[in-house]
Amino acid sequence: MSEFTQLVLLFFGTVFVNNFILVRFLGICPFLGVSKQVETAMGMGLATTFVMTLTGAATWLINTYILEALNLPFLQYVSFIIVIASLVQFVEMFIKKTSPVLYKSLGIFLPLITTNCAILGLALLIPLNGYSFIGSTVFGFGAGIGFTLAIVLMAGLREKLEFGDVPGVLKGVPVTLIIAGIMAMAFMGFSGLITI
Amino acid sequence: MSVNAKQLISDFKNGLWQENPIFRLVIGMCPTLAVTNTMVNGLAMGLATSFVLISSEIVVSLIKKLIPGDVRIPSYILIIATFVTFVDYFLKAFYPSIAASLSLFVPLIVVNCLILGRQETFASQNPVHRSFADALGMGIGFTWALLLLSAVRELFGMGSMFGLQILGDWYRPMVIMVLPAGAFITLGILIAIMNVIGKNATNDTTCH
Amino acid sequence: MEKNSTKAMIITLATIGIISAILLTFVYQWTIPYIEENQEETRRAAIKEVLPLAEEINQVERESQIFYEGYDNSGNRVGVAYQHSGGGYNGPIELMIGVDLEAEEIIQISILNHQETPGLGARITEEEYKSNFVGKPFGDYVVVKTPPSKTMEVQAVAGATISSSNTTRIVEEAVSMINNAYGGGS
Repeated sequence: MSEFTQLVLLFFGTVFVNNFILVRFLGICPFLGVSKQVETAMGMGLATTFVMTLTGAATWLINTYILEALNLPFLQYVSFIIVIASLVQFVEMFIKKTSPVLYKSLGIFLPLITTNCAILGLALLIPLNGYSFIGSTVFGFGAGIGFTLAIVLMAGLREKLEFGDVPGVLKGVPVTLIIAGIMAMAFMGFSGLITI
Repeated sequence: MSVNAKQLISDFKNGLWQENPIFRLVIGMCPTLAVTNTMVNGLAMGLATSFVLISSEIVVSLIKKLIPGDVRIPSYILIIATFVTFVDYFLKAFYPSIAASLSLFVPLIVVNCLILGRQETFASQNPVHRSFADALGMGIGFTWALLLLSAVRELFGMGSMFGLQILGDWYRPMVIMVLPAGAFITLGILIAIMNVIGKNATNDTTCH
Repeated sequence: MEKNSTKAMIITLATIGIISAILLTFVYQWTIPYIEENQEETRRAAIKEVLPLAEEINQVERESQIFYEGYDNSGNRVGVAYQHSGGGYNGPIELMIGVDLEAEEIIQISILNHQETPGLGARITEEEYKSNFVGKPFGDYVVVKTPPSKTMEVQAVAGATISSSNTTRIVEEAVSMINNAYGGGS
């Protein structure tokens, strides 16, 4: 298998087979919180994808050239969370300066991303799985796309549900969780499609 | 500030039911769903989270006046991450099997919205003794909710509780319960039951 | 009072960072001997499990890989153990395998670390699945869902075909690693 094929498989495997939200349980908070409308879900998804791709690359660099080189494994969590927080801050400032339109649509989501456990989860999975630099970046991008896919699908379902007749006690959180359960079952169909 | 016992008790009781992190506020969902496949995991996660919550609320409420407003959140996250690393190494050293089964979700306590949320809404505005009471209540509230969820999942999914076989050979385990899909559905139903008992859960979308 | 000045912010964060790093260095130094001891203990137990007849274990390096050779009381080599890992369903699976090079068959396998689903994939650690490999000749195995009828067949854990077949592949790889290092046949 060529390296390129492997990267393509890694990407699709991360989007579908090991979907961050529905299979790995990472990023549930925004998945439940920011999935009321397709438009906002899309914004959240894109902002997250952007940060995740950068996190993938940055984490690999930090882990390889600082933590492993200086033998400081115990600073992994602290340094990863600092990297993520600064990346989010940097992305926010950058977008604010370069594209006010984009900032208007993504800006409100950016502070929420720091505490999205999908991002820290991504950072922690990279040293665990031993990806290369390009592999880590592709993994980050795939994770972001998988996140966007799940959250947009959920928002689409919830928009329809607005007009549904949901029993009182199930309204809001419970019915959302049950839908998520059914989606997770559907995604189980992908398991085994690609093994990394 | 004088110690007001009545207020301390109400701070403590708040997290147990009225503002239960899982059933009422619906925060800290990642570990809630991911590690509740067995009761041992659920209990260990609850205790680990409670420890981090209590220690960081104490520290934050002690040094809150020294932290400039703009770097509030990064400072809290740093403090939380330090305690989480401590818990992680402690578990790996003395309870290796628990550390192995919780794996990634121990470090992810860092971004548990519950912990950062309590620093922001409680510890940064209240004195140490009240913060301690709040953290203790929230920690116990989180732990019992995890235990209940994992009890349902383990009992139906594997026919056992705390690893001990409860249901006999006649019971065919519902495998779906220990899978992600079962986690979502069980939690959905449990929250619905809690809604029948009390007022409806409010989804805290702000998260932090 | 300029509480929010950049300088104050940097000083605050740096101070917290430094205190945190110092504390964690102590935590690390305190716990690391226990953690290494735990890993060593797991490895020893796994070698004992996969080479039950061995009284003495020799650690040797071949082809820049570490192998554990087991000898009985009279100094005969009873088998070779090797630690190997690969991707599972949820994360890496790490296992120890013991083989009899003379008979060209697997003695036993032992799972060291895994992150498979409890009640499903996690059952690769149970005897029912592991016994599949006991006495299997070297070569490529076929994962089946029914009780195996041919020698090279391995029965998957019910509902966990992926965990089972990935483990089987790790076993195959480990066997060929040992074979290569010891100049074995196929």
